[in-house]
Amino acid sequence: MPIYFSDHEVVLPGQLLSDDGRRGGEGTYVADGKVYAAQVGLATIRNNRVCVIAFKGAYRPQVGDEVIGVISDVKPNGFDVVLGKHLTGVIRIPDRRKVQNLGLRVGDVISARVKESSLRGIVLEHTRRMRRFDKGLLISIHPAKIPRLIGRRGSMINMIKRKTGCRIVVGRNGLIVISGPSPAQEFAAVTAIKEVEREAHTQGLTERIGKLIDSILKGGVG
Amino acid sequence: MSKPKLISEDGIRVDGRRYDELRPIKMEVGVLDKSDGSAYVEFGKTRVFAAVFGPREVHPRHLSLPDRAILNCRYHMTSFSVEERKPLGMTRREVELSKVIREALETVVFLEEFPRTCIDIYIEVVQADGGTRTTGLTAASLALADAGIPMADLIAAVAVGKVDGQLVLDLNDVEDKYGEADMPMAMAPRFDSIVLLQLNGRISKDEFPKALALAKKGIMEIYRLQREALKRKYSAAPQGGV
Repeated sequence: MPIYFSDHEVVLPGQLLSDDGRRGGEGTYVADGKVYAAQVGLATIRNNRVCVIAFKGAYRPQVGDEVIGVISDVKPNGFDVVLGKHLTGVIRIPDRRKVQNLGLRVGDVISARVKESSLRGIVLEHTRRMRRFDKGLLISIHPAKIPRLIGRRGSMINMIKRKTGCRIVVGRNGLIVISGPSPAQEFAAVTAIKEVEREAHTQGLTERIGKLIDSILKGGVG
Repeated sequence: MSKPKLISEDGIRVDGRRYDELRPIKMEVGVLDKSDGSAYVEFGKTRVFAAVFGPREVHPRHLSLPDRAILNCRYHMTSFSVEERKPLGMTRREVELSKVIREALETVVFLEEFPRTCIDIYIEVVQADGGTRTTGLTAASLALADAGIPMADLIAAVAVGKVDGQLVLDLNDVEDKYGEADMPMAMAPRFDSIVLLQLNGRISKDEFPKALALAKKGIMEIYRLQREALKRKYSAAPQGGV
């Protein structure tokens, strides 16, 4: 089956990627039985599908993603949750008493899993793994940079957690909650994350971020 | 002012080009910090910025569509872009051009990926010397690609016209004013589909296919430059990641 790109090649919208229309994945579209790129990004093959890893672009929720949001409305049968610039998710709970028991209020920050993402909207799970943050810093980075922040098998984020001693929860939608033992350590974590966002495309980043954190914690700023 | 001579005996146009030559073109992607995607395009003395925001929430809410995003497009000329100061605000002409540009872009953007949201496109002409709608459209499609909005293809646009009885490519202001016809055209080159075609003036039945072919030739060249501009911005970019 012919493909028309080398692995991790920069591709542009409209570029022909493959003749096999059944292999179109994320960031691509199929026309006349052929796969074309729909976004600017790196072309690659994942799970035997042709994909484009976009450099930029809005977050599109996938089922199972862990996201962070802010409660924007409390209703008798659930909550509305703002997940960033253009997305609002809902949590639906059939039992009214349970809604009250959860004790969530407008403005509370929670993390939850995406249960359903379709034309009808985004539904978040409330049973498993939903939790409210009582304290911490809420920061936001570009959703396209989240995979880099996590790194290969979590290498980047684990390194930041270890070095700064902070608890960091990363939402796929670009929101991140950080809480640490001291403001200085939290500051180091925020600076490191912002640096990852800015320098996401460069080589040897994990190492440099490690040094950056060390220098901040030692007392220098940046 | 009386009509100047637009093409000399040896076939050279007022700005020194041949009939099938484009003006010097400059394109840059990602020039504005605060937008999600942006581009700057220059066709000779015509200079245009385009900025894209979104997908973002629609205001007022009731305008949003349940099954797709809406595309807002504003084509605007700054008051200093022309010789006689253009009053602020949208003229009839700008409202119309915003509409035709929006309709051209709607053919390639996958709006159904972002239901209940809107994508805003602002096209700002900072200097006008003919061909602003085609330059604006070229810039807008670059800005959309830069914003990471999924689209079927880039859109490239150029005008052909008739001056002193001859078909010429990429009219400038003088040629547009004193020429016999001006025909802006935009294409999604990958699918060979024309997404905008307007005609002001007269072109004969025999000339029309020739004009079309001439425009297409220009469009392919512009398309190549667009791809180059995007590649230039992103080629230094990402390794690793996921």
